[in-house]
Amino acid sequence: MFDIFFVQQLVNGLSVGFIYALMAIGFTLIFGVLNVVNFAHGEVYMIGSFAGLMSITAFAPPLFVVILVALAFGALAGFGLERIAFRPFRRFRDEASLKSKAVREATLLSSLAISIIVRELAEKIFGSNMQAIPQEYLLLTPVQIGPLTFANGQFLIFGLSIAMLGGLQWLLKRTRIGLAIRAVANNPMGASYVGINTERTIIATFIIGSTLGAVAGLVVGLYQGAIFPAMGFAPGVKAFVAMVMGGLSSIGGAVVCALILGVSEAVTTSFFAQGWGDLVAYVFLVITLVFFPTGLFGGGRERV
Amino acid sequence: MTHRRSFLLASLSLSLLAGNVFAQNKTVAIGYHAPLSGENAQYGILFRNSATLAVDTFNKSGRLPGVTVQLKFEDSKGDAKEGVNIARKFSDDASIVAAIGDFSSTVSMAAGQVYAQTKLAQLSQTASHPDFTKISEYQFRNITTQAYEGPLVANWALSNGAKKIAVVAIQNDWGQSVVSNFVSAVKAGGGEITETELFNPGTRDFRSILTKIARSQPDAIYLGAFYEDGSAFLQQKLQLGLKQQVYGTSSLYEQKLIDLAGPAANNLYLSTTFLVESPEPQVKAFVKDYEARYNSKPQMFAAQAFDATNIVLNAVVAAGGADATRAKVRDALAATKDFPGVTGITSFDPKTREPSKVLARLQIQGGKFVLQK
Repeated sequence: MFDIFFVQQLVNGLSVGFIYALMAIGFTLIFGVLNVVNFAHGEVYMIGSFAGLMSITAFAPPLFVVILVALAFGALAGFGLERIAFRPFRRFRDEASLKSKAVREATLLSSLAISIIVRELAEKIFGSNMQAIPQEYLLLTPVQIGPLTFANGQFLIFGLSIAMLGGLQWLLKRTRIGLAIRAVANNPMGASYVGINTERTIIATFIIGSTLGAVAGLVVGLYQGAIFPAMGFAPGVKAFVAMVMGGLSSIGGAVVCALILGVSEAVTTSFFAQGWGDLVAYVFLVITLVFFPTGLFGGGRERV
Repeated sequence: MTHRRSFLLASLSLSLLAGNVFAQNKTVAIGYHAPLSGENAQYGILFRNSATLAVDTFNKSGRLPGVTVQLKFEDSKGDAKEGVNIARKFSDDASIVAAIGDFSSTVSMAAGQVYAQTKLAQLSQTASHPDFTKISEYQFRNITTQAYEGPLVANWALSNGAKKIAVVAIQNDWGQSVVSNFVSAVKAGGGEITETELFNPGTRDFRSILTKIARSQPDAIYLGAFYEDGSAFLQQKLQLGLKQQVYGTSSLYEQKLIDLAGPAANNLYLSTTFLVESPEPQVKAFVKDYEARYNSKPQMFAAQAFDATNIVLNAVVAAGGADATRAKVRDALAATKDFPGVTGITSFDPKTREPSKVLARLQIQGGKFVLQK
């Protein structure tokens, strides 16, 4: 049972986990600041991959240019999303509204509405089926290391996750905007009292989180050979589970939990059947919530 | 007086002649119901195109001199209740000698309950549910099911030297029928099944399934999927370096599989009933006529409807043309043997009314579906 195929299975699981992690990073960042789930993150992910694919079919640029295109569209999508779905609910600045559950739920639903509208529009424009991707852009080139088989996309996804995680930590801990983001996440009213422009900080958070989401979508799309309007949904659910398991606002925790989910799915497939993979993932979620109500890495009330 | 008498005679003979002509121009109707609106409308429209083409060609051919076959088309909207209403309407219409439809097994079976009581023969071009033909002796279909395709592919793989085979299929009713029919046929043929894996709809990452299969070391893999899952599976199989041959279900016969999977689709073996590029004369003629009339190449569904309509037309001829009754048409349908359709040579089993066909064997080579001998 514990042979080289098992090691290969762990590799498969980790690569699936890193896909969830890529998505969970941006997701958790936005949640940490607004304390509201951004359901449209999956659509930002989809927009990134479609923008990249369109630039590929139009100009066939090198891969890093395609990633830059996805970055730009992600930033735009994040800005637009915040403007349409989130800002209208921050009109009321009194303490009662800020603490109101109704306003939070309305925000959550407006992001869900935007996500459905964007997805349906994409289905109307591009059709709901998968788009053909030019073969030379697929990140599926085999890389043989000893008896194990990797794909070049797996290295890119791994590198990207590490870079995102490290870059984000640097941004949050070492820059002024990062300080502002942490302040707003901690206490939005307090932050505005000490002179932080909360509006701008929130916009910046959305732009950063969405660019990460868009790049994730592009890279995963090219790695799985699957770009289609509903592509953000399934990994979005897993990213959400990872975020909850990790303690809602710990980015590192979400990444670790995403990896746990990916590996548990692969190992379940190996020992039982693929149909049991999701079940095991959700059993992990329930166990975590029962024994660690604040998540594995929740630790008190500090966010981000 | 004589003039007048001859005029009377002439007019009498003329009216007799006219009466004769009128009697010769008898109309026999075929009822066709399929979704023309709603979710599955695209299929119903293909069916109507093909059926109209088949009936028009038949009327022009003069195979039944003096008889015009009329096609009465109704929109079932993909709704079982609509299907029942249409079945009642068709049953009450004395000119209709046989019915074709519906698209889905659900609607076909709902309508079939009515036809079983009113004793009107029903032929569905696509209903593949095992219970459809079990409703009564009035139900027929010309689509082959996995019960037919599975053993065929199993024997093909076995004769190609694959003794140990792994099966991967989508987790739904159809996928399970893919697995059960194929597995029993392989075992009956002396082969061995190394692994059976059902994947959830929406799976994008097949690497863990592929790794599990690789461990069981089969000679070949049988894949029951549609083209999107199929292309992802084949791409990841290539990336993981699995060398096994892959046999696919006929559902993978789609140009889009090659568009999506690219070189990873090469060497895939699959069977199909309808091949657009087939050199057979009847297929060539059908593709040419269909394209000329509707400006698109016919696909499998259009071909199924074309054959269904022609099988019924054949039965009407065999049942005596102008004198065809519902009972005679049913018996003629049950006696359908070696019908040379565009989806292969079709015969109906007189007892179970299940179709058997000669399936074409294909392999994808250099990005093209290539017919195998």
